[in-house]
Amino acid sequence: MNKNLVIPGDLLSSDVKQAGEGTYVKDGQVFAAIFGFVNKKDRIQVIPLAGKYMPHSGDVVIGKIVDVRFSNWLVNISSPYEALLHISEYPERIDADQMSQCLGIGDLVVAGVKDVDVTMKVELTMCGESFKKLDSGGVIEISHAKIPRVIGRKGSMISLLKSELNCDIFIGQNGRIWVKGREEDINHTIKALLKIERESHTPGLTDRIKEFISDRKPTTM
Amino acid sequence: MSEDIISEIKKDYICALVEKGEREDGRAFDQYRDISIENGVVNKAEGSAYVKIGGTKVLVGIKIQPGEPFPDTQDKGVIITNVELSPLASPTFEDGAPREDAIELARVVDRGIRESGALELSKLCIEEGVKVWMVFIDVQVIDYDGNLIDAASLGAISALLDAKLPNERYELGKDVPVLVSDLPVAVTAVKIGEKFILDPNLDEEQAASTKLTVISNKDGGLAGMQKSGADTLSPDEIYHIVEMACKTAKDMRKKFLE
Amino acid sequence: MSDKTIEFIEKGRRLDGRKLDELRPIKIEVGVLKRANGSCYMESGGNKVMAAVYGPREVHPRRMEDATKAIVRCRYNMASFSVEDRKRPGPDRRSVEISKVSREAIEPIIIKEHFPRSAIDIFIEILQADAGTRTAGINAASVALADAGIPMRGLVSACATGKVGGHIVLDLMKEEDNYGEADVPIAMDVQNDKVTLLQMDGRLTQDEFKQALELARKGCKEIYEMQRQALIAKYTV
Repeated sequence: MNKNLVIPGDLLSSDVKQAGEGTYVKDGQVFAAIFGFVNKKDRIQVIPLAGKYMPHSGDVVIGKIVDVRFSNWLVNISSPYEALLHISEYPERIDADQMSQCLGIGDLVVAGVKDVDVTMKVELTMCGESFKKLDSGGVIEISHAKIPRVIGRKGSMISLLKSELNCDIFIGQNGRIWVKGREEDINHTIKALLKIERESHTPGLTDRIKEFISDRKPTTM
Repeated sequence: MSEDIISEIKKDYICALVEKGEREDGRAFDQYRDISIENGVVNKAEGSAYVKIGGTKVLVGIKIQPGEPFPDTQDKGVIITNVELSPLASPTFEDGAPREDAIELARVVDRGIRESGALELSKLCIEEGVKVWMVFIDVQVIDYDGNLIDAASLGAISALLDAKLPNERYELGKDVPVLVSDLPVAVTAVKIGEKFILDPNLDEEQAASTKLTVISNKDGGLAGMQKSGADTLSPDEIYHIVEMACKTAKDMRKKFLE
Repeated sequence: MSDKTIEFIEKGRRLDGRKLDELRPIKIEVGVLKRANGSCYMESGGNKVMAAVYGPREVHPRRMEDATKAIVRCRYNMASFSVEDRKRPGPDRRSVEISKVSREAIEPIIIKEHFPRSAIDIFIEILQADAGTRTAGINAASVALADAGIPMRGLVSACATGKVGGHIVLDLMKEEDNYGEADVPIAMDVQNDKVTLLQMDGRLTQDEFKQALELARKGCKEIYEMQRQALIAKYTV
């Protein structure tokens, strides 16, 4: 039995200063708000095992343009909330009538979450070095709760994938992963990613992924 | 939101695999996902079957009660097939009036049972012109991961095999098993690129351009077909699917129904 | 209510051999559905119930949105074959009422403020009915919500108590429900000791009602423990 697993309502601490993500405070005590694993760093937080992506300011996400409106792009970020990308947050100065040429419906972008207000109005920005339109490659989507497994402890899983699979991989915090490379390698990478998603809560995952990669290697040479 | 629209890359991925002769989950083109059937799971029903084909789950319940015959078939029982696409089963299923998918599905399942002669309707007459057995086949879709037609059809015939005529309840004598005279099995193929695969999962179903369901009987004869989807099929492609479907139906019948 | 002379209780045992304060056997499985964000299958006595949770997701139609919190929707439905006489598919007055009270039983524990302008949808499907479907549905839905990662203040646990043959008993079975003197379904936020669902059907003295509520409290605590164990078991290999 895993001692770190808690369910909503479990008492976590009597020190309200400790209350972090996934907790709530009542009567001077800290309780678990979600079903998940407890993590004690500077604060007590509960890491979710499931759930939708909820945007936070500062997140880097992969978005898909779903509409072009007056001075704003409407962007699906794989969350219950659609996000707005204002024309002034596009990396170059453009006019409103050029918007569709720069980013059309269906285009994929790497963007930063600039602001999230109390009604969950989400604003994105593309002003920043790592932000861009994704012209080549493709994006696959997995459950955002599984993203930490794709990254691995201290980035171990993602560096393994990158170094062994001959693909550029970029992970959005919203559960979308961009992969670029030769078709053969892309398909191979997707296979590995889907395997990680499927087996994310079983022990020895990194070893199995290593095995999976080395098994397939001769065919890609 | 467009939760059932798989990403382009995954679609390309599935198509590329099929082109190479592979499938996402490692199956052969004519291979089904794991199938399991549990009978007698609903004690309030006269017969029942809980069918799982991979991630797809359906529960079929048979209710049998006396009712009036139709005016033009005074000496025959009545079959009524209904499918509920419960909103529990998919983010795209909504509460409310049945969608065209649910109605198509119910009608294809119904056709298989009816046209195969699985139930001899004249044996379901209690008193000519007055009282006949009404056989309700209710399909409850629990989890939608593709290929509902085959799961629902298999569930329907399996639940009928499990069913009893509730004579005792209506003071008509002893309960007896429902007489099932044939074992129709539906097998569905989808077209991805120029290739055909059986038992598509949800991703494959969405990557496919069209599909064909073939229902065949014990003697290898055909009892129903349904093409669904906007792409075309050539006669040769159809013959290929029919052959593949009948062969597979035979194996499934042996394994799950005989 | 009862003109039938059934001996409901003999030597402190009920028709099915249970003690007065004993629940029927319960089985809970978590995360059984592939498509839903959270799900739970539950059997209690002869009840077989599946609950699924979708969301938080966008609200359609938009005018139902609440700018400050998530809306919670609940649909309780009985499969056509779940009861003795085939039920016509679709909602009837009974299922509309149960959907409403079930939603209100669950809503108080959900931290809705985390998800303004969104919907959390709860679907309860009764596959086999055997007295106490609404409480079984609420129990399953509560677990499915936790499985979906929805923030909550705790779990909701529910059971019915009632009066049969002059005795207050826990978790009525079919015969007790049909011919007993009273039926009291109750749901509770166990950790905070708060009642979220209370209905009563039949006749009880004030004192008997008190006993019934106390007994439901005990029943809900036992169910809470089983819900907790079922959740933990999902991630324990």
